[in-house]
Amino acid sequence: MVGQDSVQLKKTKLMVGQDSVQQNELKFWLSSQLYHFEVVNVIALPIQLLAFMETKQTSPDMVDLNGEAGILDSSPQREKLIIDTDPGIDDAMTIFMAFQSPGLEILGLTTIFGNVFIEDATRNALLLCEMAGRSDVPVAEGSAEPLKGGTPHIADFVHGSDGLGNVNLPSPSTKKIEKCASEFLIETVSQHPGEVSILALGPLTNLALAIKMDSTFASKVKRIVILGGAFFSLGNISPAAEANIYGDPEAADVVFTSGANINVIGINITTQVKLTDDDLLEIRESKGKYAQVLCDMCKFYRDWHVMSDGVYGIFLHDPVSFVALVRPDLFTYKSGVVRVETQGICVGHTLMDQGIKKWNSSNPWTGYSPISVAWTVKVDEVTNYVKDLLRKP
Amino acid sequence: MADSPKKVIIDTDPGIDDAMAIFLALQSPELEVLGLTTIFGNVYTTLSTRNALHLLEIAGRTDIPVAEGSHVTITNGTKLRVADFVHGIDGLGNQNFPPPNGKPVDQTATAFLVEQANLYPGEVTVVALGPLTNIALALQLDPGFQKKIGKIIILGGAFFVNGNVNPAAEANIFGDPEAADMVFTSGADVIVLGLNVTHQVVLTEADRDKLASSDGKFAKYLCKIMDVYFSYHKDSYEIKGVYLHDPAIVLAAVDPSLFTYTEGVVRVQMTGITRGLTILYNNQKRFGEVSEWCDKPTVKVAVTVDAPAAVKLVMDRLIKS
Repeated sequence: MVGQDSVQLKKTKLMVGQDSVQQNELKFWLSSQLYHFEVVNVIALPIQLLAFMETKQTSPDMVDLNGEAGILDSSPQREKLIIDTDPGIDDAMTIFMAFQSPGLEILGLTTIFGNVFIEDATRNALLLCEMAGRSDVPVAEGSAEPLKGGTPHIADFVHGSDGLGNVNLPSPSTKKIEKCASEFLIETVSQHPGEVSILALGPLTNLALAIKMDSTFASKVKRIVILGGAFFSLGNISPAAEANIYGDPEAADVVFTSGANINVIGINITTQVKLTDDDLLEIRESKGKYAQVLCDMCKFYRDWHVMSDGVYGIFLHDPVSFVALVRPDLFTYKSGVVRVETQGICVGHTLMDQGIKKWNSSNPWTGYSPISVAWTVKVDEVTNYVKDLLRKP
Repeated sequence: MADSPKKVIIDTDPGIDDAMAIFLALQSPELEVLGLTTIFGNVYTTLSTRNALHLLEIAGRTDIPVAEGSHVTITNGTKLRVADFVHGIDGLGNQNFPPPNGKPVDQTATAFLVEQANLYPGEVTVVALGPLTNIALALQLDPGFQKKIGKIIILGGAFFVNGNVNPAAEANIFGDPEAADMVFTSGADVIVLGLNVTHQVVLTEADRDKLASSDGKFAKYLCKIMDVYFSYHKDSYEIKGVYLHDPAIVLAAVDPSLFTYTEGVVRVQMTGITRGLTILYNNQKRFGEVSEWCDKPTVKVAVTVDAPAAVKLVMDRLIKS
């Protein structure tokens, strides 16, 4: 287990520091809700981490135990993250969860059609940043349509016509940045090669455009965690396809075969993790910073789940993918080449070669880099992680 | 057996596991084999016919008619993939058997299937071991075929697992996806066994040794032809055993209780990189919009198999021959 080994590594390193530093470090350490996530970073960025520890030795009081914005903005141990999103009720939940996570440095949101049209996705992204008091986070608007063109397929019957459960939210007072999403992705990733992770919660058009425009993008991005696909299970937009991949199958195929470091979380995983009506009530009655508004939004989403799946509660598609980003230890993965069908009745189908058979001739899966496909999930721990963050004041 | 035996027609592309399946059927008192119809797949149709005749001669059952089936797919496709690396160039383990003395009947496979279905309406079970072209042609030839045929038990597809031709597709469905989609959505009483089930039914090297040291006529014959099939499994799957795909389908006719099934709509992808992919929708979820799976007749898809019992039954019957 990477997580376990690196815990040891971190602890060993801590022992070489001064006593006061150690205490502060450990306090920070234990208080952080991104415990394992930072641990993973130890391996990725050992030099930066040591530099960070140097800094702490001179001014240990800089450690921000509350995880509020500002103080730690330039601290190298925080995970640089861009969220590509189509908000969306579970997107809103995820964005708020990310803002509540002190170990993350949110470099920006990029928007995409999916749950809503692109204009609504951008408006909602701006609004969510504003509600979180994080209007400093840039919002770059993404593609209005899939790679092949045409009007996108919108899931307003799931998220409401405004995408946020029709709870009469105000308009945002802030504006999107000038750059489009793919430009923002390329620029930001190029500024910090090997450091920026991307959490992709919608159709993959923006990422595919970035990959097509900049041939170094796939190798410079640290990691892409994708909510998408249905691996060896039923889809949710048709028996063959999951909605995000169906939204732009060509783009998904470009991204999956790009050679980037990819973790993909399919609905075979995310539909195992639910918030029940009781969980939602518990969150509503908590002191959670965003608990009220999220629970208001969730009503529409929850009612659709009852009708569609007979689930009295909600699936946590986007939040589970977020947990996969910050707590990879709560999942297991299988490695294999994934291709996406772009034609016919199974358009949008994600098909992974599990590598069980040695093929005696080449096929459309041959020759591409494998990606990590989530295989199992620790359901209770992921659910609790989500609930804890949503109840966090 | 108190009941009269079940009338079956075996649609086959022999094939080593087809040979095993045919012998198993002939050794099963529960079944009365009305005839064999041939199809391309493991080998070209001409060779299928020759092998079917040969196997019946080995079994001393030249009374059973062989009707030759289609040489091309339902869409007249001719670039057919045959699996000579699995079954040998001759389809029967490269044994250079002499040509059979018998000849196929004058009827086509399709005509034979339609005739028998009309002769015994509701009573004939088709055991389909290859691509489904002949059966799709029968559906086209006789619009009442799907009602008159009893059951169609099919080896085909890969449900929620990888295929065996490529990651998406199983060989029989890949052989003629259009025909498969026609059969699955025809409204006939269809039972499908995919790789998800047949890959559990494995004949091990130890089982083979047991067959070889038995006095069973079929057991001995099969052991002679099985080396190629074992090598293929070792190279491709790194297992010391062979999958009993075709015999499993015969077992589903002999004793359906060896399997459990779910019922749903199965559609076949006909284009793109996943051509030949089988997708089952068994109503466990409601979709927001109309899909290609809506309002289509359902089929039964095998979900589990009692694999030890299945292998034992195959072994017992081949040894007692």
